[in-house]
Amino acid sequence: MNVNVVIVGHVDHGKSTLIGRLLYDSDSITEGRVEEIQRLAEEYKRRFEFAYFIDSFDDELKEERTIDTTGVMFKGKHLYTITDVPGHKEFIKNMLSGASHADAAVLVVAAEEGIQEQTGRHAFLIHMLGIKQLSVLVNKMDAVDYKEEVFQDVKDRVAKLLASLGYRQVDFIPGSAMEGDNIYKGSERMKWYQGPSLIEALDTVELSKEVKSLRFAVQDIYSADSEKVVVGRVESGTLRKGDEVIFRPSGVKGTINTIEVYGAKLEEANTGDSIGITTNCAPTRGDVCGLIKSPPVTTKEFLGEAVLLGDNLKQGETVELRCGTKRVKCAIKEIKEKLNSETGEVMDKHAAQINEHEAATIVFATEPLVVEKFSDIPELGRFVLARDKNIAAGIVLEPSA
Amino acid sequence: MMELKDLENRSIYILREAYAEFNRPAVLWSTGKDSTATLWLCREAFFGKIPFPVIHIDTTYKFKQMYAFRDNLAKEWGMNLIVARNEVAITEGVGPEDGKFECCTKLKTQALMKCLDEHKFDALILAIRRDEHGIRAKERYFSPRDGDFKWDYKDQPLEMWDQYQSITEDKTHTRVHPILHWRELDVWEYVKQKNLPVNPMYFAKDGKRYRSLGCEPCTGTIDSDAKTIAEIVEELKVTKIAERSGRAQDKEKAFTMQKLRALGYM
Repeated sequence: MNVNVVIVGHVDHGKSTLIGRLLYDSDSITEGRVEEIQRLAEEYKRRFEFAYFIDSFDDELKEERTIDTTGVMFKGKHLYTITDVPGHKEFIKNMLSGASHADAAVLVVAAEEGIQEQTGRHAFLIHMLGIKQLSVLVNKMDAVDYKEEVFQDVKDRVAKLLASLGYRQVDFIPGSAMEGDNIYKGSERMKWYQGPSLIEALDTVELSKEVKSLRFAVQDIYSADSEKVVVGRVESGTLRKGDEVIFRPSGVKGTINTIEVYGAKLEEANTGDSIGITTNCAPTRGDVCGLIKSPPVTTKEFLGEAVLLGDNLKQGETVELRCGTKRVKCAIKEIKEKLNSETGEVMDKHAAQINEHEAATIVFATEPLVVEKFSDIPELGRFVLARDKNIAAGIVLEPSA
Repeated sequence: MMELKDLENRSIYILREAYAEFNRPAVLWSTGKDSTATLWLCREAFFGKIPFPVIHIDTTYKFKQMYAFRDNLAKEWGMNLIVARNEVAITEGVGPEDGKFECCTKLKTQALMKCLDEHKFDALILAIRRDEHGIRAKERYFSPRDGDFKWDYKDQPLEMWDQYQSITEDKTHTRVHPILHWRELDVWEYVKQKNLPVNPMYFAKDGKRYRSLGCEPCTGTIDSDAKTIAEIVEELKVTKIAERSGRAQDKEKAFTMQKLRALGYM
């Protein structure tokens, strides 16, 4: 099983160090890399840091901070892809880019600092992204003499924050990425702690296997051997040969004649499969296909929650909305509630605009498209907004407002 | 092999998005295992044909087996092959003795730049992978480049889920990385599963083999007894040697790779 884990948390709480430690203790560092990093450390007149396994830009090493997201892999019980993200507010868009494919998250909180600005913001954002499996590493326990009462205090505060965001059943692990306590191995120095090490907590991550309605997103139409092949991806559910289907928003109905991949015809295709189909109707790029008996629904107005990563977004403004393979023009009809992205608290009702790094619930008025409630079919319940570039990420709360 | 199928599904999705979103895409082919697997993924995505040109950058320093492999496979797979060369630099005799940074920049990056400009390609499909090099691990699936080819690595686009940034108003082209999420081992398992052709230089001879192919003067071998694809797969499951350990330009100095890539190197 391939499990994608994102490591989040405030700047300098030890995210990159943690990943370096995981790679080192799992014996995943290539030969010569340790010596190379020792040389670099000498060149920069610093002590050896596990973070140097991850940070690769010279600016990252010089400034001792992660600028952009990185993915590394190591094999444990699962094949883990571990995503490092920057902890600075100015790099939130990089953090989100890295977190968007994660199945689980680790929130790193330094024991001696506790909750800081990005602790809350990262927790809020990964919750919005639908990442439900979360472990909290109370890191740098070495800096507080491995004291249980410090751990308890940080744990209580973070638990309160996470509960207010909607998290339940979170593991709290006291550890030290720098010294290796409770990361890949246990700890001799915290005998008062009986729970799992971080890797043991990650080993229990499960991937959702919920059975869902069929949704097939159309990417393109190719002409091959005088027939039209509709290509795209099964976003949820299962598509079978002979299925009676409808494509929306175009509204055309037909039968699935064949399901094709290069060199083979299939009886069925499952979630995640990139396939081609032939059918007796003519859908277009951006259409979403579902069974006639459980069809996708076209909407022109929906309620969503979005976080802004670009310049401010004003009520009444029109931007591009991208969901699945569909691109539509979309107006910000009403900014209902502006949310504090550190705490999830409502800051302002009926605001005229939202600013960079702020989140809000918004009524969007759009050209016809298919969206799904994020909690039902996340693949078609999430979207980005774009101007001359991608500026915001959001989820669908109610498909028709 | 469920996992290989997942990797392939995502790569095909990315290739089809690129083909739908850009007017003039092209794919870069070094003749190595990664870009050959990428060409195969194009054939999977587009039902047997590669519907855009295949660019090979010829530094004139490639191994002669690479040229032979290129010409044979180009014919067999019916590629529209473009061979890109920086003729001016070649005439001037630029070579690795001028410094690897200088040589890679002139013979690779600038040859590519000229080719893109001539053919007005707006998307370039590249077979880089995150696990190859720390700098490549920082890449997005769709990565915009400006007229000077600069990679603005400090301000990369928001790339959430599969919403790749394809808008390129002030950018000249977008790099598309369909196998960014693959590991070296995955590529070889895929080669094995699909029985893809690979350059025989990857197989061990007298206890040595090439693990990564580049230009003859700057590419070394590793110790290995892997003589078949299956043996390479087994070797990679246990090796602790870095894949590009035989590639001199990566480690001439610290951050050479970053500097090369910032200027548009692959």
